[in-house]
Amino acid sequence: MANMAVTVAGLELANPVMSASGTYGHGLEMRHFAAPASLGAWVSKTVTRKPRPGNPLPRIAETEAGFLNSIGLENRGIDSYLRDVLPDMAREHAVVITNIGGESVDDFAELAARLDGERACHALEVNLSCPNVQGGKLPFSTSPAMAESVIARVRAATKKPVFAKLSPNVSDIGEIARAVEAGGADGITAVNTLLGMRVDWKTRRPALNTIQGGYSGIGIKPIALRCAWSCARAVSIPVIGCGGIACAEDAFEFLVVGCRAVQFGTASFTDPGKIGRLAAEMSQLLDQHGIASVTDLIGTLRAPNVLAKTPGAPS
Amino acid sequence: MPAPPKDARSCLAEVLEVERVGDDGVILSVRPEIAMLDVRASRFFMLRHEDARSPAIPRPFSLYRQRGRELEFLIKVMGRGTQALAQSRPGEKLRLIGPLGNGWPALDGDGPMWVMLAGGVGSAPFYLAIEQALKGMDGKARCGKDHVAFLFGAARKGLLYDVDAFRGFGVKVFTATDDGSDGFKGNVLQLLETLWSRGTLPRECRLLACGPERMLEAVEHLAQEKHLECWLSLETLMGCGVGICNGCPVPTRPDGPLGAWPNAKCCVEGPVFSTRDIAL
Repeated sequence: MANMAVTVAGLELANPVMSASGTYGHGLEMRHFAAPASLGAWVSKTVTRKPRPGNPLPRIAETEAGFLNSIGLENRGIDSYLRDVLPDMAREHAVVITNIGGESVDDFAELAARLDGERACHALEVNLSCPNVQGGKLPFSTSPAMAESVIARVRAATKKPVFAKLSPNVSDIGEIARAVEAGGADGITAVNTLLGMRVDWKTRRPALNTIQGGYSGIGIKPIALRCAWSCARAVSIPVIGCGGIACAEDAFEFLVVGCRAVQFGTASFTDPGKIGRLAAEMSQLLDQHGIASVTDLIGTLRAPNVLAKTPGAPS
Repeated sequence: MPAPPKDARSCLAEVLEVERVGDDGVILSVRPEIAMLDVRASRFFMLRHEDARSPAIPRPFSLYRQRGRELEFLIKVMGRGTQALAQSRPGEKLRLIGPLGNGWPALDGDGPMWVMLAGGVGSAPFYLAIEQALKGMDGKARCGKDHVAFLFGAARKGLLYDVDAFRGFGVKVFTATDDGSDGFKGNVLQLLETLWSRGTLPRECRLLACGPERMLEAVEHLAQEKHLECWLSLETLMGCGVGICNGCPVPTRPDGPLGAWPNAKCCVEGPVFSTRDIAL
């Protein structure tokens, strides 16, 4: 059996599989579909300072190769999370990464401070990149200076590892990656959803109430992979790959381009049990290829020499 | 936090038969690889044909009928997902996630009569409802045949799917069509009013309804106005069926038992809601 253990920013994980925020519940609601120990880490749905009822219906729409959503970060807020969710997770042997979201730099800092003393929360993932709030303007993930300032404030408020979840809706994601590294991030999650939309030409109506929303699923994998690769080249902190991963081979592609772990998201809607089997499937596949440890794949992309000479190649 | 039911599983199911029904429907029979016995009426399953043509997201369907390990689903063919299911062949495997949701309350024989209102493919959660009501649910008094009325409405006769199967129970069955091609000419609520005014059905009754959104809004309004107990089985668009995507919120009544939060999750807190708890 191949060794599946990985270390990401000091977190010792049984395997590199994590749930993607917002696609596998808030706590351990899904434990009957996937045993808590079967995932390297459970990433919560975004927690905000105040409760958010979310966006009006319709909030979801399907596309040819994926899924559009405009949930709008519906959640019951940090008070409820600390009271109703975390104590339950503390009883299980699960690594928990709490994803936090805010409308201001102060919101992020306050959330980080409140979670800092919580033993059941092992790390924070900072949602800089939800496209479904503030009209899709993505203020924290499109400006390197803003991204750096949010992460710096979170860094100052917590001793826990801090991951910055970046948006693919930027022209140079490497620049944002360097900014969050400078701000003190311990790692990067690449990437959140792409902005997308669907319309019914017969009724002239958009499929989502918010018109545009976040596009996820298998259709975004090539874009997410390119973003993860760009981040891994740009920084020395670990990168967690996310976007369109639906099977063991998808996960390995992200490891090869430099990711230390992967997040499994929209594919849980197709089969909510799959994420719990993914690490075992990855291990089997490694065995078949005679690879002793999953870490042997990380950052092993054999880039053609021509790349270094190509003008305008992503840095 | 609302969570998916503990008995829900994600597994493959073998297609046994696809039988045409009505103008645009099929009854899909499958045998899941994990036995799921005695599923409560109006619980549902997410179904998806795992081929490359099918949409990425499964679709929710009420369990229509159950024969031992075999599960049957009544499916109206509307888009790519339902088309792929309707075209599946015996022996093929489908992804099946469930049983999900809560199901109807115990349909007992002690209180007022149960009046079931179905609109089109909204008849799906009623076959098992009648079967289970006549057998007795949750250890409560079973319903006599005259204690259940099934009112089935649709645009035309060809959309009154499998109506003879309902007649086979021996309960009171009434039909309504918009074009008058079968039974009463009009909608199912106009039919109910007529049956009330003729004295065919008692005005004191308990309502169950499943059908298009506009019909359910009208039923909700009627139940409030007449102070009737009423449960609706909702057909809200769903992404996951297990409470993780937050795509199927139902507005709650602030003064009701779900009022602590403005939205209920249709998939894990429903799909059956009392009209005291939600506001469509």
